Order: sequence, then C-alpha cells, then structure tokens
Amino acid sequence: MTLIAHGLVVRSDLPIPEWLFGWAAAMVLFVSFVALASLWPEPKLQEERRRPLPDRVNRVLSNRVDDVLAGGIGVFLLGVVMWSGFKGTQSSTANFAPTFVYVIFWLALVPASILFGDVFRAFNPWRAIGRVVAWVARTAARTDLPAPLPYPERLGNWPAAAGIFAFAALELVYSEGSKPETVATATLVYSAVTFVGMALYGVESWINRGEAFSVYFNLFSRLSAVERRDGQLGLRRPLSGLPALRPVAGTVALLAVMIGAVTFDGAAEASLWTNIAPHIAEFFRNVGLSPRDALELAFLVGLFASVLLVAAFYQLGVAGARSVGGGFTQENLSRLFVHTLVPIALVYVAAHYLTLLVFQGQAVVFLASDPLGDGSNIFGTAGRSIDHSALGSNATWYLQVAFVVTGHVIALTLAHDRALAIYEKPREAVRSQYWMLVIMVGFTSLALWLLSQSNQ
Amino acid sequence: MVLIAHAGHWLTSIAYFVPVLAFLAWLGVTQFIERRDRGR
Repeated sequence: MTLIAHGLVVRSDLPIPEWLFGWAAAMVLFVSFVALASLWPEPKLQEERRRPLPDRVNRVLSNRVDDVLAGGIGVFLLGVVMWSGFKGTQSSTANFAPTFVYVIFWLALVPASILFGDVFRAFNPWRAIGRVVAWVARTAARTDLPAPLPYPERLGNWPAAAGIFAFAALELVYSEGSKPETVATATLVYSAVTFVGMALYGVESWINRGEAFSVYFNLFSRLSAVERRDGQLGLRRPLSGLPALRPVAGTVALLAVMIGAVTFDGAAEASLWTNIAPHIAEFFRNVGLSPRDALELAFLVGLFASVLLVAAFYQLGVAGARSVGGGFTQENLSRLFVHTLVPIALVYVAAHYLTLLVFQGQAVVFLASDPLGDGSNIFGTAGRSIDHSALGSNATWYLQVAFVVTGHVIALTLAHDRALAIYEKPREAVRSQYWMLVIMVGFTSLALWLLSQSNQ
Repeated sequence: MVLIAHAGHWLTSIAYFVPVLAFLAWLGVTQFIERRDRGR
C-alpha cells in the first residue's frame, strides 16, 4: 500500500527537471500576486452571497428521511469497520477496515466535500447515534433534558487538532497502524471519546468544534459552492465559504497538524529524515526502550517536529505581515489569515495521496464483497483487482503540480481579499501580502520537494 | 567526503527552495530600502 501511496514509479521523460517545476510554480504565484494587486482593488469574498436551491430540489435532497438514511448508512459502515477489523483476517490488504478508513473515509471524503459540501456531517455515525440517544432520552423523560455544559471557549478546536494528530500518528508512526484489529480498536476508542464529548457539551457543540473529523471535513467543504444551512441546500459564491470561517482557539494548530502530517509523510521518505531517524531512535534505545518502541517514538518526534515547523513558518509570515502596521496582535492576525491555509492543506492531501486514492481506492470494490477476507463474495465483485494503468506516472506528476499551484493561487487570492478588508490603507494591505507571498511560495516549494522525494 | 558524494542529491533538494530564498532576499532588500528612505 505504501508503494502505491507515494507513487513509487519513476517518471522517465519529463521535459525539464522536477525542481524546475518548483521555479515555474513560484513564477505563477508571483504573476498571480501582481495581477491581484493591480486587478483586485476591493474585497469580493468577505460577504457570503448565498441563494437556496429550488424548493423541489430541497424537498428531494434535504429532508428528514434523507437525514435518517444518511446517518443510518454512516452507523452501518462504522459497524462494518469494527466487525471486519475484529473478526476478519489480519492482513491489511485483504481486510475491509484499513482500506475503508485510510482511503475511502480519510481521502475520498475530501473531494466529495469539495464537490457536494459537508457530506460527512450527513453521514457522521457519531452525530447520528448522539441525536438518536438524545431523542430517546427526551422522549422517555417526557421533558427537555438538562442543558449540557457550555463548550469552553479556550477548548475551541484543540480536541479536533489532537484527534487529527492522533489519527496521523496511528497511520504514520505506529508500526501496526494498518493492522485491521488496530483500526477497529482505534475506531472503538475514538467513538467512546466522541460520545463522552457529546454527553458533556451537547451533540452539535462537540461535533462543530471538538470532533476531529467533522471539523476537518467541514474546513474542506468551505471550498465548495454547495452548502446546507438550517436544513436547506444552497449555492454560494465560490471561495466565499472560507472567509466566513470564524477561527477559535486551536484552529491555527489544527491547520498546522493537517499540513504537517502530510509533510512528515512525504519527508519520511527523504534521505534527510532517513539519516536522522536512526540517531533519534538510538537515543531512545539508550534510555531503555525496545528497538521498535524507540523507532516509533523517533517517528512521533518527527511528526511533531513537522507540525511545529509548519506552524512556525506560518507564524513567521504573520509576524512579517504584522510588521507593516495595522495594529494587529500576532494571535489576531494569525486567526484572520488562517482560512488561507485550508486550500494549502487540501492540495497537500490531494497531491500526496492522489495515487493512493486512485489505485487503492479501487480495492473497496472487491473488499466490500469480502470484508473479512474469508473468501465470501457478497456482491459478486470479490474477483476484481486494481487497475494500475488507471493513471500514468507522468500524468500523476502533472496533476500533482497542477493541484499544488492551483491551491496556492487560491490561498493567495483569499489572503489578498482578506487583507483588503482588514487594512485601512491599501498600501499596507499590499505590503502585508509580500509576506503571504513568501509563505505561499514556501509551502509550494515544500510540497513539490516532498512529492519529488517519492521519485528518488 | 560523504557530503560531497551526495552533493547531487542535496543540491537538487536545495534547488527546490531557491525561489523561497529569492523572495526572502527581495523582501529583505525592499524593507532595507524603505527603512533607509524613511530615515532620510
């Protein structure tokens, strides 16, 4: 799975060296920056212009039956993951659970959120169970239940950041992270944590701010033109969903985790890391850990360092932008621009895991027929296999570069629009964007370097 | 010695980050000129 994940196929006939793509991407960003400065004089995205879809469309696509059905499907799939993980074969490629969790759930839901809006909210099994339990309790008590605790402001998105970090650690650090039983156990533990969170602070409060995957997919869905609000589907101006994001404590950290985790996944293949990791592992072995634990801890240090590096780079750019004036605090300005990191996080995921999604994603067709890996053939598709010719290596590279460049141009546009809205003097707005340009070029160069590491 | 032996490898890696360094240098020069002009 790892080989496919990182596109370990040699690109043979690119017309220019890979690093030159990085230079070209930087030029595209610079031209975009100049174009924005001269052709985009007023903020256009700060107001979320939204119009509801026609009533007949809403009646079909957004009704209570759909809610119950989607929630039921989510709960069913949660059950299948745990059942196949605990009861099925412990081969990670022959069992339904790892591919479903790491590929379909973690990756395929990202483009689905961009295309169709916050689909995970509809299918979220924990939210569905929480709502049913609350309804049953209300009905049994024949009265409204006591209000749960108010969600602490300082907690913000920190539980979500911790949840995504834990998921990344399970996937990238723990040596048995792809073992079906591990996946099922992690799902069970995460479910328990989510139920406690919902019981303490209420279903919607916890889902909207604390539940890692709800917050994660909601951030991506803000790039979508489709949005469901107050039970009604509508269309909004493209990109206007992100400026409407109201960052809370931990939102910057969450974005740093999202980008840092992919960064570490790519960097873990680079000689820079493979040379350092044994030394860190040796340090932990010297304090008495087993070789396996020492190596896992070394990888955890690497993952944490990647997240810190991403956060520090962003904060450095914000500090630079702050130096041009405007009277903002570091925290205030970092929150005001944090939505610009969402398209960057998106393209990091899209570019890095493109091949994993395209190739391993096909496996769900035969794994669904044989979830336990015991030879059953429920849907008659168990004999299918992965078509490795679906995407060539050069096409993959061009798509990855296109994703990276497009995402960073979008980020630059969002930052420019926000700067025009928050700085009183247009000159300060443009000057603050010099720093955002450096951030975008930095993340672009890093993304392309990481992708190149899978081609060594 | 090892450093030189692997020069092709890390020089290629550095090449990816040349645009970042170039933009930082440009930003540094811009700020220096602005401060100098303000000082006058």
